[in-house]
Amino acid sequence: MENTTHAFPPRAMPSSEALASAPLLPWYVAVAIAAAGLMTVLKAGRDSVRRGGAVVALGGFGLLMVQALKLTRAGSGDLTTPFLVAFAAIGTIGAVRVITHPRPVFAALYFILTVLAAAAIFLVLAAEFLAFALIIVYAGAILITYMFVLMLAHQSPEDEIGRIGAEDYDRVPREPMVAVLLGFFLVAALGSVIERVPTLTREAAAIGPREAAFERAEALQRMPQQLLAQARLQDAEAVALAADDRGRVSFMQGETLQVRIRTNAGEIRVVTVDPAASVDNVQLVGLDLVARYPASLELAGVILLMAMFGAVVLARRQIELGEDERRKAAGMAGMVLDLPENERGGA
Amino acid sequence: MNTAVEMATATATATASPAVTVALAFSAVLFGIGLVGFLVRRNMILMFLCTELMLQAAAIAFIAFGRMRMDLGGQVFVIFILTVAAAEAALALGLVVLLYRRRETLSAESWQELHE
Repeated sequence: MENTTHAFPPRAMPSSEALASAPLLPWYVAVAIAAAGLMTVLKAGRDSVRRGGAVVALGGFGLLMVQALKLTRAGSGDLTTPFLVAFAAIGTIGAVRVITHPRPVFAALYFILTVLAAAAIFLVLAAEFLAFALIIVYAGAILITYMFVLMLAHQSPEDEIGRIGAEDYDRVPREPMVAVLLGFFLVAALGSVIERVPTLTREAAAIGPREAAFERAEALQRMPQQLLAQARLQDAEAVALAADDRGRVSFMQGETLQVRIRTNAGEIRVVTVDPAASVDNVQLVGLDLVARYPASLELAGVILLMAMFGAVVLARRQIELGEDERRKAAGMAGMVLDLPENERGGA
Repeated sequence: MNTAVEMATATATATASPAVTVALAFSAVLFGIGLVGFLVRRNMILMFLCTELMLQAAAIAFIAFGRMRMDLGGQVFVIFILTVAAAEAALALGLVVLLYRRRETLSAESWQELHE
C-alpha cells in the first residue's frame, strides 16, 4: 500500500531524495515482511509452510532492527549492540511462540523466555534493579500463577492412540488476518515515534547529563554514611563530615560534589566526589520511589490490597459452591430445607 | 539514507544510543505481537497472558525513554506496572477458574451469551 502512495512523487526527484522524503518507507516494508511471515505462521497449515513463515518473520524482524538503527542514526555503537539485537530477537521469538503454540503450558514457558530477554535489555539500559525485579516478579511469581491455573484448569485431550493433543480452541486461531493487519499497522505507526528518537535525544542531551549528576548528588547528600565513605576513598584521613557555618557539608561544582571533611587532627578539608560513580541503581530507584512518588507508592499498596480482597472473595464463593454441590451429590437435602425428622410430611 | 540530510543533521550531532533504539523497536514489536495474540488466541488464560506481553512492552519503552532522558521516573513507573500486572493476574485468574468450574472449558467463545 505504501508503494502506491510513493510511486508518483510530486516533483521529479532523484531517487535518494525521494527516499529521504519518506524515510519510514523501508520501515513499513520491513513491517509488512514480518507481518506476512507471522500470518503464515498463524494460519493453521503444514509444518513446512509454517516453518518457512517463521524464517520470513525473523528476516522481517532483522530488517526492522536494521531500519530502526538507520532511522535514528544510531550507528553500530559499541560491542553490546549485536547482543542487544540478539536478545531482542530471542524475546520476539518467545513472544511469537506465546501466540502460536498449540499447548498453553508451553506458551507460558515461552513467555518466561521473553521476560528473560527483556530483563537482559533492562541490564544494558542500566536498570539493574528492575532487571532482577522483573525476573523475580514476572518469571517467578506471575508466570507461576499462570502455570498453576493452566494446569489446574486444563486437561490435554488424548487421541485414540494416546498421544497428547491440543484443544481446538488452542489450535485454530481466531481471525488471524484481521488481527495481524491491526497489530502491524500499529507497529508501522510506532515507526514515527522511533524516527523522532534523534530529536528527543538532542533535547535530552541538553539537560540530561547535568540533571542526572545533580539527581545522584542529591541522593548522595541524603546518605551521610555513604557520603563519608566516598570521601574517605578520596582522603584516607577523613573521620567525619564537617558542616560549614550555613550547615552544609557538601555542594555541587559542575558535575562533581565537593564534600567538607574533618581529619583526626581537627583540620577541615574539601574533597571532590564523583556522584555518578558513588550511588548505585538500587539506591536511586528506592529513593526516587519513596521521596518523589510517595502517593503513588501508597496507591500501589491499595491496588495490591484490593486485588488480595478480590481474590479472597472469589475463592470463598468457589468453596461454598463446591460444598453445596457435594451435599447435593451425596443425596442430602440443602442446608436451609433440612427440617427435623418429626416435622416431615406424613410421619 | 540520504547524505544531504545526514550532513544537515550532523551539525547538531546527538547520536541516539543504539541501546535505546533497539529497545524501542523491540518494544513496538512486542506490543504488536501482544495485540495480535490477544485477538487471535481463544483460550481465556492465554488472552490474559498476551495482555502481559503488552504490559511488558510498555515497561521496556518506559525504561528506554527513562534512559534517554536520564530520569529515574521511567524505572519507578515500571515498578507500578509490575504491581498492576500482579494484581491483574491474581484477579483475572481467579475469575477464569470460576468460569472454568461452570463450563469445563477455557474457550472464550463459550461465554458469548451472558444471560444467566
